Amino acid sequence: MSALLSDQVRRWSRDDTVRTWARLAPALVLVGVLFGGAVWSASSRSLGVGAIGSPGPSLDAYRRLLGDPEFWPSVALTTHVAVTSTLLSVALGVGAALLLRRVHFGRRSLTTLFQFNLPIPHVIGAVAILLLLGQSGFISRLTAGLGWTAAPADFPALLYDPYAVGVIVQYVWKEVPFVGIVALAILRAAGDDLETAAATLGASAWQRFRFVTLPVLLPGVLSTAIIVFAFSFGTFEVPLLLGASYPAVLPVLAHQRYTDVDLANRPEAMALAVVVTLIVIVVVLVGAALARRAVRRAGA
Amino acid sequence: MAGGPDPRDWPAVLAAADGTTVDLHMWGGSTEINAFVDEVYGPALAELGVELNRVPVADTADAVNVVLGELEAGRTDPGSGVIDLIWLNGENFATMRQADALLASGWAEHLPNAAFVDWDDPAVAFDAGRPVAFTTSPWGSAQFQFVADTARTAPQELPRSYAELAEWIRANPGRFTYPAPPAFHGTRFLTQWFHELDGDPDAWVEAFDEDRYTEVAEELFALLEELAPALWRGGATYPNEIADLDRLFANGEVDLTFTQLPAGIGANIDAGVLPATARPFVFDTGTIGDHHYLAIPVNATDPAAAMVFADLVLDPVRQAIKLDPANGWGDGIAVSPDRLDTEQREAIDAVTAGLGDQAVPPAELEAVRTSNPGAELTVRLEADWDRRIRQGRTG
Repeated sequence: MSALLSDQVRRWSRDDTVRTWARLAPALVLVGVLFGGAVWSASSRSLGVGAIGSPGPSLDAYRRLLGDPEFWPSVALTTHVAVTSTLLSVALGVGAALLLRRVHFGRRSLTTLFQFNLPIPHVIGAVAILLLLGQSGFISRLTAGLGWTAAPADFPALLYDPYAVGVIVQYVWKEVPFVGIVALAILRAAGDDLETAAATLGASAWQRFRFVTLPVLLPGVLSTAIIVFAFSFGTFEVPLLLGASYPAVLPVLAHQRYTDVDLANRPEAMALAVVVTLIVIVVVLVGAALARRAVRRAGA
Repeated sequence: MAGGPDPRDWPAVLAAADGTTVDLHMWGGSTEINAFVDEVYGPALAELGVELNRVPVADTADAVNVVLGELEAGRTDPGSGVIDLIWLNGENFATMRQADALLASGWAEHLPNAAFVDWDDPAVAFDAGRPVAFTTSPWGSAQFQFVADTARTAPQELPRSYAELAEWIRANPGRFTYPAPPAFHGTRFLTQWFHELDGDPDAWVEAFDEDRYTEVAEELFALLEELAPALWRGGATYPNEIADLDRLFANGEVDLTFTQLPAGIGANIDAGVLPATARPFVFDTGTIGDHHYLAIPVNATDPAAAMVFADLVLDPVRQAIKLDPANGWGDGIAVSPDRLDTEQREAIDAVTAGLGDQAVPPAELEAVRTSNPGAELTVRLEADWDRRIRQGRTG
């Protein structure tokens, strides 16, 4: 009898597994074909396979890349842009969510206003930043008009600057609401019960945040941070519009190599794309492991 | 003919094109040019039974990459490509030739309207220093010019050579910059400076002298390094492209910008991109003139329709319409006035007579026009600029 029952259970769970995979199949095929195909094609071309005018498979493109004096400054700048944007977006996004949760009057309209820029494309955002923060932009004219600066051009250089301030401002502007709505959703799902319980047990505001709210938020916010990092590490249109000529971030460098007149530079562009992909994959794996640990801790 | 329709039998080409669509991939950054192509060529093609599908691309190199990608994927047969016609010149042409990606049957020589083109003119027959060899058909022409705002800079203060420009930059620190090569206008600006120091632009069209290059380039880049601190932003960064420089100019951050339009900047002024008091001018020591072309990829699906389009745009009356900025473009002509009849020539003269001071007079442009050098020189200049100026390395 019990053997029969356990057989039945095993069959159910197997059916479940099959059904789950069947449901996942369309998404997996899409990712497999589009992402996998692109990575495969980029990797093979970075090795000179199937590229026009290539003498044959070799690691030359990677060797040239590592020997290129712009490569390491570019890695450093790209990492700086991605890490700084992610940290600022998470801090401001979570902070805004914590504040928004406490607002009672007009919370709905405030939340809508907070999410206002989510559907705006990054390129449009970048152009807006250009018009706002450029040395001939709106703010520089305003400060000159108010007499704070002698001329619009005396406004500090926030665009095309070596620290990529303009690029980071654009990413943060765009990602804060994204982090915010995720954090807000987690906080709403968790409710106030745990914090109320902690408060009745005499926990201070800081203790409630540190030992109750933060562990609840951490897994979801970590995943969001990974998405923000991967995005800001791998996109090229914003730094292309707002970044300095030198050094350029890795994706811009890849685009420059790819559109170079000399076809011999195309394998290098592909090698750069592979390097960016590998770095992002490593960060995603590490981040996912951290998020799993955070879930276990929060559950414990 | 080695593949593709044979334009010597033009009725057969017209018959093959009837009922097909020409997929024209072209830089789509100018609303005026896009509208011009749709409104002037679209209806004329429709009368011949050809539909125009204009595909705007952000950068011609993107269209080139589509073709190269197709060829790399083995789609090399005629009829397997998505592009019938690309608007290109210079380095993109060199790339396509390097990859053997262009229909090389010599088709451009035998288009009916090719009779109006002076193929003996090196400015037509060579593109980026490579013989065109009838693999592309000319569409229009352009010449590099400088633009200043007469409200800010008096005509007698304007530099008339690169030597004077260097003095001007020293005297007006922070008021000048140029788009970073390999942006088109940046490379042209740099190449012309090289030409002035070297003294013989024609020597670089088909040949490349390594020793002479090293000597002149050293002089040029030493000068650029010396001048960099007196540029906009102290030379720490450069505009990405001409649109950025135009914006800096219009906002009063810099005092000079560039244009390529032989019929002048009237259209840019009307569009509000340049101030109403802006005027073009040239250096006495020469500015580069060149042509831009239409090319058919080797794997095009409707090459006959592509040839019909390439022929249509060379019609002298349509060339005159294109030259007139009032029609939205103001592009230079690709046909030779010597080969036109009186009526056709008058149509073109009437346009140039009405350009006013928003254009440099055609005779003055002609007098200072210099040759576009071979790809080897521009590629080397771009690479050295990247190393010494953008990255600031001397090694």
